[in-house]
Amino acid sequence: MTLALLLAATLAVACVIVVALPFLREPEPESDALEDLDDEERRRLELLEARDRALSALKELEFDHRTGTISDEDYRAQLGPLRRDVASALQALTAAEPGEGQPPGARN
Amino acid sequence: MPELGRAALLVTLGLSLYALVAGTAAARLGRRRLARSAQNALVASFGATAVAAAVLLSALLRNDFSLEYVARTTSRALPTAYTISAFWGGQEGSLLLWLLVLTGFGAAAVTLNRSWARDLIVWVVPVFAAISTFFAFLVVAVASPFATQPAPLDGAGMTPSLQNPYMLAHPPLLYLGYVGLSVPFAFAMGAILSGKLDERWLVATRRWTLFAWAALGIGQLLGSHWAYVEVGWGGYYAWDPVENAALMPWLAATAFLHSVMIQEKRGMLKVWNVLLVILAFSLSLFGTFLTRSGVVNSIHSFTQSSIGPWFLAFIALVVTVSLALVFWRLPRLRSPTKLESPVSREAAFLYNNLLLLALCLAILWGVVYPMLSEAVRGEAVVLGRSYYDFFLRAFGLPLLLLMGIGPLIAWRRASLRSLATTFRWPTLVAVLAGIVLLLLGAGSSIPGLVAYTFSAFVLATIVMEFARGTRARKALGATTWPGAFTSLVSRNRRRYGGYVVHAAIVLLAIGIAGSSAFDSVAEAKLRKGDSMRIGDYTLVYRSLSERSGPNATEIRATLDVRRGNRDLGTLKAGKNAYTIEQQVSNEVGIRSDRLTGEDLFVIAEQINPDGSVYFRVFVKPLVNLIWLAGLVFLLGSVITLWPDRREQRRLVARASEVGIPATR
Amino acid sequence: MIALSVAAVLAVFLLYTSIAGGGNPSLAPSELDGRSGTVQLAGVVVGPIAGDAHAGGLRFELRDIGGGKATGVPVRYSGSVPDLFKVGRHIVMDGELRKGVFVAAAGSMITKCPSKYAPKRRGDSA
Repeated sequence: MTLALLLAATLAVACVIVVALPFLREPEPESDALEDLDDEERRRLELLEARDRALSALKELEFDHRTGTISDEDYRAQLGPLRRDVASALQALTAAEPGEGQPPGARN
Repeated sequence: MPELGRAALLVTLGLSLYALVAGTAAARLGRRRLARSAQNALVASFGATAVAAAVLLSALLRNDFSLEYVARTTSRALPTAYTISAFWGGQEGSLLLWLLVLTGFGAAAVTLNRSWARDLIVWVVPVFAAISTFFAFLVVAVASPFATQPAPLDGAGMTPSLQNPYMLAHPPLLYLGYVGLSVPFAFAMGAILSGKLDERWLVATRRWTLFAWAALGIGQLLGSHWAYVEVGWGGYYAWDPVENAALMPWLAATAFLHSVMIQEKRGMLKVWNVLLVILAFSLSLFGTFLTRSGVVNSIHSFTQSSIGPWFLAFIALVVTVSLALVFWRLPRLRSPTKLESPVSREAAFLYNNLLLLALCLAILWGVVYPMLSEAVRGEAVVLGRSYYDFFLRAFGLPLLLLMGIGPLIAWRRASLRSLATTFRWPTLVAVLAGIVLLLLGAGSSIPGLVAYTFSAFVLATIVMEFARGTRARKALGATTWPGAFTSLVSRNRRRYGGYVVHAAIVLLAIGIAGSSAFDSVAEAKLRKGDSMRIGDYTLVYRSLSERSGPNATEIRATLDVRRGNRDLGTLKAGKNAYTIEQQVSNEVGIRSDRLTGEDLFVIAEQINPDGSVYFRVFVKPLVNLIWLAGLVFLLGSVITLWPDRREQRRLVARASEVGIPATR
Repeated sequence: MIALSVAAVLAVFLLYTSIAGGGNPSLAPSELDGRSGTVQLAGVVVGPIAGDAHAGGLRFELRDIGGGKATGVPVRYSGSVPDLFKVGRHIVMDGELRKGVFVAAAGSMITKCPSKYAPKRRGDSA
């Protein structure tokens, strides 16, 4: 019975320590602000996703055409619009670049 | 030791509450250390729950009958494996298992994703914490596994029908599935709360959803197999509310898995996807509620249990709050992309979703109808299997066909010309198969024939896809055909893993159609030496034997089986009389034909004192395809779940491009 | 478009269930008096149990679950008898009241499973 209580107390203390750990490790931090994406970064993320989506759609079109799922004429019909999607996605990305040649990941 | 268990659960409750409150505050106020502290609390709650689980497990293994739960679910004579399974055999223990898996999954999902989705995780933590607070509250205050009593000499034992290997795996798998659906739900709610409505919540949870869905699927198949061989009434699914409880979230999750592909490829259906994940999770909560309380007049329990009202309140809370949140973010979720053509892959997936949802809702309606009619008309009206069969056919057969059409239509728009070319060969195969089957006599059941024909169509499309893909790969430069095949599958795991899963569903459809539309049954009372015929089988009842087993007396009737002139050996069917539990269980005799997948299913219904036996015999064509489908399903799931390093690298690259810090 | 389809499908259910009458009312033995037509009866088995389910029918009494009326309804049942069937077990079956005796549909008996897992059902094949 007392063993149980001892173990329970140990567990409780361990948990409290784990929970308090961030405060114990950094009693006086430089900044306690939660890093978050600002509007610009959020927009950039959306543009990146749009770019990847357009690229993968193109890739899938090629694959479907190669395996014969999509006929030649359907392929030709869709190739143009998809290529345009990729181009406009890449364009939007470069336009949204914060400055020339600024390396991404400069935030930390 | 029960004190340790109780204390550990109290610690879990405290940690969950802290994670909920602190996590919300940290997210709202943007405090980094507090957010990390809340995350730690979530992880620690898993530790505390694990301690409680260990206490219960050790009490079970030590036959500590001072714990009321242990005394109720086990006995000294119970084999060790089943003693372990008693952990989840009763209400309190199964709730503890739910909590254990929930905290475990929560801790893992949050830890694995916090480096690249920190802004999302900060809101996911409180959502997980809210769910675990509820379950922790239940096991602390309402249904504690650690209630004590003066220890009796021996426990009450386990229901004989649960003493079966399937019962070792079936409930844990289902729980992995139910709880697994909480992960995409928590991430979806986290995305909505944080306003980060990009793809990251989908990407982070895709494998979790797949895993939960696969676990639910396999868990249900195991349950059906158990019902078939152990309960032994000749069937494998009775549309009982508890069976439906697992089917409904699985159907919703299936719809979700398909519609997320549309969001990934076209950026559409964001609102739909969030609503689906809320539905899937709510249904899994509802499913747990159905199994654990007595609300539905199911054969499971005719009395109300204590946790029922709590569960219902929690489900209502989850549904209202999540719907309100979706409504709040509606403008941001709406996407400009529209459906371009009703003949496109997007449209096919949409029809698939509608059909799956319709089936799911039909089943839900069937489950709640007795409760509703009792509330409205004062009389509970129960819907029978004809209701469920009707809707299964009405929605299931078109779904089957769609499985073959969807993958082969182009995105955005498909011309009817290209459709005609693509589907020429599979349609031919299907029509041919239909004619052959008609000649073989399958016209006796139109739905069965339709199911077979559609299955032939879908199988043809799957074979075609694999063949064309391999050929294309070989043309790209693969050296050997097997090499081309493996590189094809490995580079397109989702697509080809998905095809394997579709093949499994087709096998399932064929097995179900065969064993329910084309089966036969015969009954006879036989004395020793008498024979009976069914189909082209002849059974001769030879002898009756009685034997004392470890915890039961086993009575078996032995029959000789012949088909035409061939001697097929003997079959035993009978009953077990369990001494401690004071129950009798049915032990059926099954002879499976390796070649045709057919089962000869013998039930010794009544064993009379004079040695005569009343037998009920079924012939179930193709039923073993159902179990084979389970294996194929497992294979397909593993292929789709397999980690893809190329994809991982791409995602990490994308995150760093935006500048999301990739440090822990 | 989606909302319309869902609404249409829902309408189909409601029509089917209310008109086609796919369901049977579920009653306790005390509510059975004077009822005609097929119903589902749910109650607790009261002995003595006599007869043979496969020859002439099994005879027993069914009473309300949770006490209530002292007298039960006499039942005659033929067909598959589930393993768990015995005095004191909660069962459910379909049938109709004929001349004071509830004649159950063959093979329709379902017993309550004492644990919380899958059905202990005998009767129609699935």
